[in-house]
Parts: sequence; C-alpha cells; structure tokens
Amino acid sequence: MSEKLTSRQLSKKITDEYMDEAFRAHELGKLIGYTTAISPVELFVAHDVIPIYPENHSVANLTAKKGVELCSVVEGMGYSSHLCAYARSDFGYRATGATVTKGIPEPDLFLACNAQCFTLTKWFQVLARKGNLPVFIFDTPEYVMDKKTRQEIVKYCVIQLKELISFLEEITKKKFDYDRFGEVMRLSAESSILYKKFLDMAQYKPSPISIFDALIGMAIAVYRRGTQECVDYYQTLCDEIQAKVDQGIGVLPKDKEKYRLYWENLPVWFKFSDHAKLLGSYGGVILTSLYVHAWSFEFDLTKDPLLTLAENMVSRFSNSTIEDRADMATELFRKYDMNGMIMFMNRSCKAVSFAVPTLKDVLTKRTGIPALVFESDMGDQRFYSESQIRTRIEAYFETLDRLHLNKV
Amino acid sequence: MWESLSLKEVVDCANDPYPSIRQWVRDTGKKVVGSTIADVPEEVIHAYGFLPVALVGTQKPLKKAPAKLPDNACSLARSNLELAMSYEGDLFDGFVLPQVCDTTQHLSDIWRINFPDKYVESFLAPRQADRPSARYWVKEEIDRLIASLAGWTGRTIKDHDLQESIKVFNESKALLKDIYAIKRKNPAAVTNKEMFAMIKLSMQVDKAEFNQSLKKIRDGLDPNGKAEGYTDVIVVGITCDPLEIFDLFDEIKINIAGDSLVTGTRYLQGIVPENGGAVDALAARHFQRGFYSPIHDDVFRNFEEVKVLYKATNAKAAVYVHIEFCESEEYDLPDLKKMIRKEGIPIHVVDTEYQTTSLSHVRTRLQAFFESLRGGAL
Repeated sequence: MSEKLTSRQLSKKITDEYMDEAFRAHELGKLIGYTTAISPVELFVAHDVIPIYPENHSVANLTAKKGVELCSVVEGMGYSSHLCAYARSDFGYRATGATVTKGIPEPDLFLACNAQCFTLTKWFQVLARKGNLPVFIFDTPEYVMDKKTRQEIVKYCVIQLKELISFLEEITKKKFDYDRFGEVMRLSAESSILYKKFLDMAQYKPSPISIFDALIGMAIAVYRRGTQECVDYYQTLCDEIQAKVDQGIGVLPKDKEKYRLYWENLPVWFKFSDHAKLLGSYGGVILTSLYVHAWSFEFDLTKDPLLTLAENMVSRFSNSTIEDRADMATELFRKYDMNGMIMFMNRSCKAVSFAVPTLKDVLTKRTGIPALVFESDMGDQRFYSESQIRTRIEAYFETLDRLHLNKV
Repeated sequence: MWESLSLKEVVDCANDPYPSIRQWVRDTGKKVVGSTIADVPEEVIHAYGFLPVALVGTQKPLKKAPAKLPDNACSLARSNLELAMSYEGDLFDGFVLPQVCDTTQHLSDIWRINFPDKYVESFLAPRQADRPSARYWVKEEIDRLIASLAGWTGRTIKDHDLQESIKVFNESKALLKDIYAIKRKNPAAVTNKEMFAMIKLSMQVDKAEFNQSLKKIRDGLDPNGKAEGYTDVIVVGITCDPLEIFDLFDEIKINIAGDSLVTGTRYLQGIVPENGGAVDALAARHFQRGFYSPIHDDVFRNFEEVKVLYKATNAKAAVYVHIEFCESEEYDLPDLKKMIRKEGIPIHVVDTEYQTTSLSHVRTRLQAFFESLRGGAL
C-alpha cells in the first residue's frame, strides 16, 4: 500500500501532471486557454480547454528576482515601467525565453475576466495581437451596492457566460456538455469550501498558518479548481493544519505571537521570505488578506450553475466597491482577532492599490488600529527601497508595542 | 451667456468655463451635473433639466487628490478629482461617472465617499463592444440612469423630453462638424486651438445657447476659402490638454485635418438618430462612435481607423497624444506605433500630463518632428 502523500508532495504532483498535460495539449486534442486568476474557469475545465495563467508564471520569475531583467527588456520595446510587473515580465519572457521554470505553452485563445482587473484584458490583447488569436472578455461591471442593480449585473454576466459557451463551442467545434459542467461545479464548490476552511484556520491562537502559507496554498485553487485532485489536495492540507492546531503548533509559539496582522494587497514576491522573518522577529504574523480570500468561492449548487458562477465572479473583492471591501476586511479583523495592518501600495496593481488610501482611512477609523502604509512594487525590485521599508516596519512595531503596553 | 461668443471669446471661456457656468446658474436657477469622460448619455441628464458638464481636468495645482489617488494614477483622473475636491465642487449638484477602466472604477467609489451629500451615480459602461450582450447592457444602463435620476429628482421624463434634448445636442455636433469641415480646407479661418476649444466648450455649457454662437461662427466663415502653406496631420488619442498644445501646431502652420479624440471627432460622431425610440437610439450611438481603447475588444480597430482617417484627410503624419499613466493607452501604444510605421505613416507621440505648466519639451519635440516631416527647417 502506498503511503499517503503530504500536501506539499501532492501539490507538486498535481502541478507537474497539469503542466505536462498542458505542454502536450495539442497531442491530446485539447486547446490551451490563457485566463485570469479570477475567472469562470469551470467552463474551460468542463470543455477540455486547459487553463494557463500567465500570472502564475510571472510570479515564479518575480519571486526568483528576475523582475528587473525581464522588465528592462520590455521597456526597451516601448512599454512603460508603470505597467503591471506581471505583464512586463511576461512580455520579457516572450521576447527572451528567460524563465526559472520550463515556461508555459503558447495560447490558442484567451479569456479575460475584469472582476480581477482590466490590466489582464489589455495584457491579453497584446498577446492576442501577435498571433491574431481570439479573446473573450468576460465583462463584470463593478458590483455596486444597490440590490436591483446587482441583479441586473448578474443577469448581464449570465448572458455573457452563455456567449462564452458559444465561443468555446465555435472554436473547438464541440458541443458543450452541461452534465459535465454540473460535475465540475460540484467539485469546484467542494474544493472552495475546503480552501476557505484552510484560510480560516488562521483564526486559531497561535495561528498555524501565515499569509505566506496561504499564498503557497492558494495556487491549486487557482489552476486546478473543478477537479477531484483539487478537492483531495485541500482535504489533505486541512488535515495537516488541523493536526498542527491539535498540537498547539503555531507559526510563532503562542507566547511569541504578539501581533496578528492584516495585509492589504498582493505580496512583494521577491521579499516573500524576508518579510515573514522580519515580522516574525517582532512577534508579528500576517494572517490574511482579501486577496487570498478571492478564491473562497461560495457556489450554491441549488441554483442554476451559470447563475451561481456569475454571482461569485462579480462579487470578488477586486470587483466590489471600496465600502464593500471595507466591510469584508472588517469581518476578517473580527473573525481572526487581528491587531495590526499593513497596507501595501503596489505600483503594479492599480486595481487593488487605488482603493488603499480610502480603505486605510475607513479601516483605521473602524478598528482603532493604526496602519502601516508603504509603497513599492510586487515584482519590480527597482521600486523597492530596503532601508526605507525596514525602517517603517520597525517604527510601526514600536508604535504597536507602545499601544500594547498602554493597554496592558 | 454663451449665445454670441466670438472665436476668441470661445477660447477664453474654454480655458476656464467655470466662472461663466456659475453666472449661468445664478441667472437661470438651474442645477449642474458633472461627468468625467467618456460616453455618459448626457442627453438624459439634460432631459431632466440639468446642465450636463463634461469634466476634463484643471490646470490648477493638486492639493487633495494625491492623498486619494497615488501618483501613478491617470493624471486626468487625479486632475478631475482635484477639480471637484478643491475648486469647483460646490458648483455641482451631482455627478454621473462612467466606469471604463480600473482607474475610473475606483474614481467612482472615491468620489461617492468624498461627496456624501451629493448625487453620485455610476454609468457602468461595458468593457467589450462586439457581442450582443454589450448592446443589451448599454440599454440597461441608460434605463438605470433614467430611473436613478427620476429617484433623485422625483420627476419622470417621457420619450418626447429625451427627443427634445437629443435634437439640441445633435444640432450642436452638426454645427461643429460643419465648422470642422471648413477648417479642414481653410485652416487660416479657424485655428486648431479655436476648433478644439469650441468642441470642449460645447461639452460644458448650455448647448441651446452655445448653438447660436456656433451658427454665427459658421455663417461667418467662407466655405470655399483655401489657405496655403499648411501641412495636414491627424491627431490620435483620448484628450489633448491644455489647449495651449494646439498653439504649437498653429504657430508652425500644422493643420489638424482629422482626429480621433474623445474631446474631438469621437464626440462629434455621437449624433443620435432622431427616428425611433430615444433610449434605443442612445444605446446604438454607443457603438457607432470611433475606437476608444478601454471599451473596444477589437484590438486592430484603432489601427484601421487611424489608417482610414490618414488616407481620407490626405494627411502627412499622425500625432498621438498620450496621457501619462493611462494604462489602456500604454498597453496599446507600442504595437499601434509599430503598425502605423509599418504602413508608412510618420508618427510622433506627445506625452502630456494634466497639471503640466511648461510645454517647452513638447514644443521642441513637435517642432523637430514637423521639421523632419517637411524636410527642412521650419
């Protein structure tokens, strides 16, 4: 009898098999569809289109500090350094072939969902132009607060999902299988519940996971949603974290976990482990962010699958009003009992960052917790000032310490 | 107020229209609703008895906006926010803000939060334009705007009211097109600056009044006049501000014979068919206008339109006006430039930023470009 794989082993196995299949897609009679990390990918999975996420590939290169090298090439091609580092490093990879992975297969079609951001749409348009390839834009108007308007938005999105099905049928010359789609949605719903359970384990004291675990753990939810292996992975992960909880194992020992922190935005990928260590040295653990919760879908299987899919896509934090984002974050503060917040103004990600100044004002007012705001870039090291950010982090913990002492 | 303006007065007024709008509000007792660009169906706002005013930034210094929108946000978005927060906010009773990109989506939220006592509505423009659902959605949004304004004002409007507004707006655009056609042939009659000042002002003042000025201006021009020594070019982009940039063209006899600006020809393309239902006609108009990067999913359409415009106007070059930090433009521009150059069209890119006080760098670069275009010193 073979030994049960750990979540890490399982993640590697799933990823290797997924990429292997993707590189052999045409051999297997399948197409490659580039899509956004937030996207109704269940339609791809049900229709045998293999989803590839150029963002994930960019993350690998940016985490390995390839950002400057790749972005510089692209700036020489006329692209502005203000654009998203994911996009720039992807264009750089295409121009030079430089990557720390085996690369990603070339696309046959594109699906851009602007519930995540509009940047991806423009990025995909650039790639599509090269090969004159089809792009489907799944347009998700901002999920404004008015109930009636929300219903109209969802209706518009359902119509578009039907258009997307026709688009896929036309390209693949294959009828869409609604029964299979129902099964994919069931698996997607199941894995999403488990993924959320995993994230919510940060509620424990001490927290068994930090946001850095969440950022690693979220990958399978992004690219293998709608499969049994995705469900199995999150079940394994939850079991492992539960075992840590049962043994009282935290990211920091219970007596050292002073600050339970909220993080706004994507991470600074190339400072990933440095930040974890630095914060840990002050007794700080970042527990969560709205970003990692973007894949905590709550599909309602009693509804029409297209309807619940549309509802879940439009209501992502990145497509919500700043007021709704503040409500979502406030709920996380309450649930996770957090006492600090780091607000990252990420030059690359306008869709998230332009809300940050207002969000910070609302959250500090509501919670009474001071915020650390810093500006940098998630992937381009030229916008990262080590000494300045380190000094700000140190000063922030001094402030928290002072507040903490006063409270005591 | 705006019924008998000379061309010179139009330019003065377009530079800073707000004192005259304030006076008009005092005189008429009417209310003002502002909109950022692009594609809000302003006829709907007008039909409710409001003055719709297009917000196209301010040249005054930024004071409050940088705390709300960082410095890598589109400079027009920051400038408009500043205009409302520091300078002219009290003039407006409400705002209808279109969402066409990530920045404008956030701008709507920030605006609403910062003006809790004013009417703030979003116009959720589709970011795809080639599928039937886009048409469905634009109509839904126009209907929603009508209902929203009804809720705010406690009034309802009929199709007839909307048709009346459409007539006034159509007339304005038709007059501007007439003047543009004369200017195209006879650039000595109307300068570039005067032409674009007229279009800009028409987006900001009472059209029924301003149409009278436009009629007088048009009728005073010689439709058969011709001017010598001008070089024709086309201008491509979203906006071209400040108006002084057009001086740089005028000074060296460069005639803008065609353009695709949202504050130019793309606005004039918005004449609405007057037969049939008003809402359907307004919805159809959304798709008749020229290319606009944030909403069109046909990536080659921009290039095709530039090519057609270049040939139709017999222009000698294209000038692309880039607004600093406009992400949509920045993703399209490298390829667009390549395609245009491959077609053999000389192109020059002008980088602009709202709040720019000195145009000397633009002047030097434009002059060098035109000099090379004409094959010698200007």
